[in-house]
Amino acid sequence: MKLFNLLRLPAVLAVMLAAPVAVTAEHTSNWAVLVSTSRFWFNYRHLANVLSLYRTVKRLGIPDSQIILMLPDDMACNPRNAFPGTVYSNADRAVDLYGDNIEVDYRGYEVTVENFIRLLTDRVGEEMPRSKRLLTDDRSNILVYMTGHGGNEFLKFQDAEEISAFDLADAFEQMWEKKRYHELLFMIDTCQANTMYSKFYSPNIIATGSSEIDQSSYSHHADNDVGVAVIDRYTYYNLDFLETQVREPSSKQTLADLFDSYDESKIHSHPGVRWDLFPGGEQAGRERLVMDFFGNVQNVEVDSTAGNATEFEEDLLALGKKIAEIRERAERQEADERNASLPEPLHSTHTTRKLRATKVEADNRSWGKTAVGVLALSGCSLVWWLGSQMDSPA
Amino acid sequence: MSGLLSSGALLRRDPRLLKVPPYLSFLCIVIGVAWLLVLPLDNYSRKTYISENALLPGQVHTYFAGSDQNVFRGYKKEVDALEGKGNTEVNDKLEEFFKASGLKVARQKYEYKSAGETYSGENIYAILHAPRGDAEEAIVLVGAWTNVEGELNKSGVALVLTLARYFKRWSLWSKDIIFLITADSRAGPQAWVDAYHDTHQKGIQSLPVKSGALQGAVVIDYPFDHRFESIHIVYDGINGQLPNLDLLNTVVAIASGQMGIGASLQKMWRHTDTYKDRLTTMLRGMLNQGLGHASGPHSSFIPYHVDAITLQPYGEGWQDEMAMGRVIESTFRSLNNLLEHLHQSFFFYLLMQSSRFVSIGTYLPSAMLVAINFTIMAIFLWVKSASPPATAGKVASATGEKSAPLMLVQEGDAKALVPEIFAEEKERDFFLPLAVVVGSHFLGVLPLYLFNHTPEIMLPAVFFIFAVMNFVFPFLASTVLTRSFAPTSQQYQLIKAFSLLFLGMFLSTLATLNFSLAFLVGLLSAPLTYIRSYPGRPITTVFFIGLLSLLAPTTVFLAGTTYWNLGIGEVLKEAAFGWDVWGMNTQVVVWCVWWPAWVVGMIQLAGKPKDEGGSIKI
Repeated sequence: MKLFNLLRLPAVLAVMLAAPVAVTAEHTSNWAVLVSTSRFWFNYRHLANVLSLYRTVKRLGIPDSQIILMLPDDMACNPRNAFPGTVYSNADRAVDLYGDNIEVDYRGYEVTVENFIRLLTDRVGEEMPRSKRLLTDDRSNILVYMTGHGGNEFLKFQDAEEISAFDLADAFEQMWEKKRYHELLFMIDTCQANTMYSKFYSPNIIATGSSEIDQSSYSHHADNDVGVAVIDRYTYYNLDFLETQVREPSSKQTLADLFDSYDESKIHSHPGVRWDLFPGGEQAGRERLVMDFFGNVQNVEVDSTAGNATEFEEDLLALGKKIAEIRERAERQEADERNASLPEPLHSTHTTRKLRATKVEADNRSWGKTAVGVLALSGCSLVWWLGSQMDSPA
Repeated sequence: MSGLLSSGALLRRDPRLLKVPPYLSFLCIVIGVAWLLVLPLDNYSRKTYISENALLPGQVHTYFAGSDQNVFRGYKKEVDALEGKGNTEVNDKLEEFFKASGLKVARQKYEYKSAGETYSGENIYAILHAPRGDAEEAIVLVGAWTNVEGELNKSGVALVLTLARYFKRWSLWSKDIIFLITADSRAGPQAWVDAYHDTHQKGIQSLPVKSGALQGAVVIDYPFDHRFESIHIVYDGINGQLPNLDLLNTVVAIASGQMGIGASLQKMWRHTDTYKDRLTTMLRGMLNQGLGHASGPHSSFIPYHVDAITLQPYGEGWQDEMAMGRVIESTFRSLNNLLEHLHQSFFFYLLMQSSRFVSIGTYLPSAMLVAINFTIMAIFLWVKSASPPATAGKVASATGEKSAPLMLVQEGDAKALVPEIFAEEKERDFFLPLAVVVGSHFLGVLPLYLFNHTPEIMLPAVFFIFAVMNFVFPFLASTVLTRSFAPTSQQYQLIKAFSLLFLGMFLSTLATLNFSLAFLVGLLSAPLTYIRSYPGRPITTVFFIGLLSLLAPTTVFLAGTTYWNLGIGEVLKEAAFGWDVWGMNTQVVVWCVWWPAWVVGMIQLAGKPKDEGGSIKI
């Protein structure tokens, strides 16, 4: 027994040592679904919200192929736009969000409740191009960001229809059952936003919204030359955090840092967070990295914490040696024990049994088996012949 | 027989119940008037607010300043130089200016004939095509060459020219902008709007160039060249139609919120936000709405569902013409944001001041109650006309010659003996009453035709003749009626019932379209509810004849013109012009609804029912 405990030790040690690394490594891809649900010039800010977030997740490493961007209107080409071809989310107009490289996957009247739910659940026709599909699996982390005009348990789509909190919860449940996500961060900026995630019941979801029931979400500021409000408060302060605190993909900022940065006096509404669907609850959720959802998965651990890099390496080396030593000792001990009692290893645990290949025994009585086979075959032929004989007179 | 009688029939004869309707209808009038008077209070009126999200008033920086002021001064000088010149000469010059700004220019000649006079002129307009828009919609900036008072709109026209040049430089228009300079403020705009919608009469030229559907129009009426203090907003349309409240709110929000310029309504130059001021503003608004005439060039647009207002700077202050230009600029940026026709806010409202209003749901009961008073009385009279004369029963029992025949009435288990006379239904003879009421309504066509087709010079004379005839006619008609038909008191009751029924129905319908007119007519004809013939009571009769004469349409008209110091001929000419050019229908209401009701009331007073007292003899 002692032997197997010892065998497990390296793994346990490794987990203890590099806990965060191990957790991030659980997912193998990152996806983002960014949706604005309102059109028309005076809703400029909703499109700017989404485009700012699009720009941020791209900056943090999610490629265009893994971002689904839904824009119901084209503000850049609106005749009312004093700065044709651009969309800004700040009155300083420092960053043109439209820039020269954006990929809108669903645009104009394609942004509908049906298309959105089909996208999430991947119930799409064969003709649907890959760029318009959410090709996730059970190892994918997804960021779902929505903004528009909403109310208690609904979000309007284009002034024509609305998605309810129940529709959304069911869509996420389908995604879970179809193993379409590993973990999901749902973020929504609309009036009474927190009601939108109140009906979720699928596991592994962290949800956050801009305002409580009966609360409006407010715009942050207007650009008096564009003539409209350019960004909403909640999104503005999220972006503010992401721009100033999560400066590079190796950032170790956690969701706790992000959510704790919300200042109700600035946002003018009460943002909410829902942890209960997440395994480990709030405790575990708070430790998740912002980069788990806003950035792309990191296959290679870059030792960015430059100060103690060598120290870490030395530790690792020492640990490696230690593990090698322990393993050697264990093997020696095992050999000794095998000599003492042979049937003992059969008590092995599930994991070790899996490791062993099945031993194929050499068969000594092959001729006898052949004889039995020939006998059986000839018996069958006899029965068949008899049957055909009885059949022919009739 | 007795089985057919219901308790309802008995209830109908209940003397206590029969006393109720006159008081009830009086109560309706009192509540209706009181209702109107409480509207200006904080609890009943509301603060205005912007309903349409797309408008975003005052959210843009305005850049109409600096060197544009020099451009304005230049145009101003040119306009001043054109003062007193002929219409064509003026338009030649204006065309030159518009073309220099790079706009497409067109002209339209028009000619109207009304009250023996010819109104002609030539409108000129320029179209700025939205550089990135789709030319499906347009907004109009109007500057009439002369304003409603006939003054040269010098700063206004110069401002339109300057803004045309300035707007051309922006690339953010989603709708076309039409700059319209009409020859005058009354016929010109009507000719242009009619032609724009292809509904123009003969004598009006079609428009050679057009743009998309009109979404709104703003008129500048700025006939002086000094600085101003505030802006006076005129919003009444023809026939009491109003522009969407959002348009007015937008301008008020921009002027006071963004530019710091006050806004006033209905010539309330000093509004102190007291109950009295609010009530005065509201009543002035109601009077304008009730008259239904055009109060500015914008009025012609409103019947076509094009929301329009006139902006008139006034007072001595420190706001200059550039501030006025910036208000227009910001307003146009807001209108430019519109995605669909203004529809979110109210079309039916009464304003107390620029930031306070009541909507139709709150004020409508007032006019409705006044109108219902007539209907209640009409129904009451209808019921009463079938019941036997009250005197018959009384006389019989008083003299004791014979007891009234009794009959058994059974209702379930309950049985009762009632005088047979109670159960009798008198047959209604209503051919004569209907003929009188319908006849008098048709007779209303006569004054309607007369006043709309008489040349201006003869109008005062025609009016006086008509006014005199008006007092003689009811007595004449009454005499003819009694001589040739000898109507019974039942027939008189029915005449009154039908007349009031017509009046009640018409006014309650009108109240939803032109609240003020319905309310005013209702109030002025309220005494008609209580008029009947008073045979043998000459003093009462004379008193009522005097009262009704004071409330005759002709007397009210005379009193109005005297009070506002207007010439009779002038007002009648305006009314005829409204009928011929604007399609105003206030006259129809006056001559075909109010006047016939009044005539029927007078006929009643002068009438002598045949069987009054006759039943005693028989």
